[in-house]
Amino acid sequence: MKRNTIVAGPVSRRALLHGLVAGAGFCLLPATAFAAASKSTSSAIAFYGNALIVARGSALLYRDGGQNWTALSEMSAGTILTLATHLERPDRIIGGLDAGGVVLSVDGGKSWNVRGQGLPEAAVTAITTAATTPDTIYAAIRGDGLWQSDDVGQSWTFVMDRPWLMDAERDLTALSSVDLATGMGGIWLYAGTDTGVTRVPDCFCRWQDVQAGDAMDALASGKPAPSKAPLPEGEPVNALVSAASQPATLYAALPSGIWHSQDAGVIWLKRSEVIATALAVHPLRADDLAIVNDDGVLQSPDGGRTWTAIANI
Amino acid sequence: MIAVSPRSLVTGLMAGVGMALLSGVADAGSTPENLTFLEKPITPEQIALGNDVYAEFCASCHGANLEGQKNWKRRLDTGRMPAPPHDASGHTWRHSDQELFAITKFGVGAVVPGYESDMPAFEDVLSDEEIIAVLGYIKSVWSDEERAFQHNLNPKDGRAK
Repeated sequence: MKRNTIVAGPVSRRALLHGLVAGAGFCLLPATAFAAASKSTSSAIAFYGNALIVARGSALLYRDGGQNWTALSEMSAGTILTLATHLERPDRIIGGLDAGGVVLSVDGGKSWNVRGQGLPEAAVTAITTAATTPDTIYAAIRGDGLWQSDDVGQSWTFVMDRPWLMDAERDLTALSSVDLATGMGGIWLYAGTDTGVTRVPDCFCRWQDVQAGDAMDALASGKPAPSKAPLPEGEPVNALVSAASQPATLYAALPSGIWHSQDAGVIWLKRSEVIATALAVHPLRADDLAIVNDDGVLQSPDGGRTWTAIANI
Repeated sequence: MIAVSPRSLVTGLMAGVGMALLSGVADAGSTPENLTFLEKPITPEQIALGNDVYAEFCASCHGANLEGQKNWKRRLDTGRMPAPPHDASGHTWRHSDQELFAITKFGVGAVVPGYESDMPAFEDVLSDEEIIAVLGYIKSVWSDEERAFQHNLNPKDGRAK
């Protein structure tokens, strides 16, 4: 299915700009702000309460809860590759930079403070806040591994090397704290790589595949594990998110489309063939998705079945 | 010698044994009060046996003082992870008794199917009594806080978690 057949109610550039100008009065527009972004430009997106923040290349865009868009000042510290927010910290946006380090905003992205001293000087490819302890942040560093901060990014501790998949270490392309018990007194961190999804308990004992059922139960019963329907083998994961309101609900953006799981990644089903480079899920509405792709920013009210363009970037 | 099958691991050893509270304070060289493994009390004799077993079979990788291999969070060139510490800096205390027993006896793959590790399965090397003793010894080294945390990971009804 072609992308333009999936997008419901496509919004023309003219209509989008007209609506934005009429409704808001903000000075800059998405199309202007992102005009220089190439098709391969990095992108990130996160819900910020009912608002959205989008990074594409060096440009930043903010949509408030009233659907008004603002182009934010470009950041001198570097390009944001990844964004994270947390419902319990409604004033906070955290970004990971291509030049290394993280940035923190407490005013909707208007201003940013550089954090992450102590992190390796390498790109932060994925970042997430811990679902149950929002002052804890995890950052994936290209060519290095996974780091943890318990003070909102001021100080960092190396916690885990990169996952070993298909005979090589893999950088993380996505990271999501999933509020599901590991049986080890904590919760899971799910990660996307260029060869699929993996996960690690937040005690960082080992990267591991998603299992169907519990291995100890299977060991005790002697019965085979329940069946799985994994993501297509070896396919890169562009983005991966867990719905905070329904943690077992996962969405993954792959080159083959948007995939959905209701059971924490045991069984995946393709929701649409829309391709996304960044993906976010509303903190309270598990079916409310937003993505970034070459066509701009799109939103889905139904878990990725249908899409509406909300910004033409 | 007790022959523990995977099934009986989670159904037999724990049956009918009351759960003890882990509130004791360990003096150097003593057994923490109410130290248990799979819901059975660990005795000073078991701790001594576990100490000997650890020194012979575990210390070469996990360290004489349970400190683990250097840079244990960094992957080896083989792609496998070094041996982690068994003290508070590691994650052993984040696993239930059943998982620790299964990992030691059957290998890490018993709890994480497909996982490749340099740690062998000790099924044909150590008896179940020796595995319980060495894990009891490791637990005896933890602080009260770590033992209490790990205690809460153990199933309360005799079933695998």
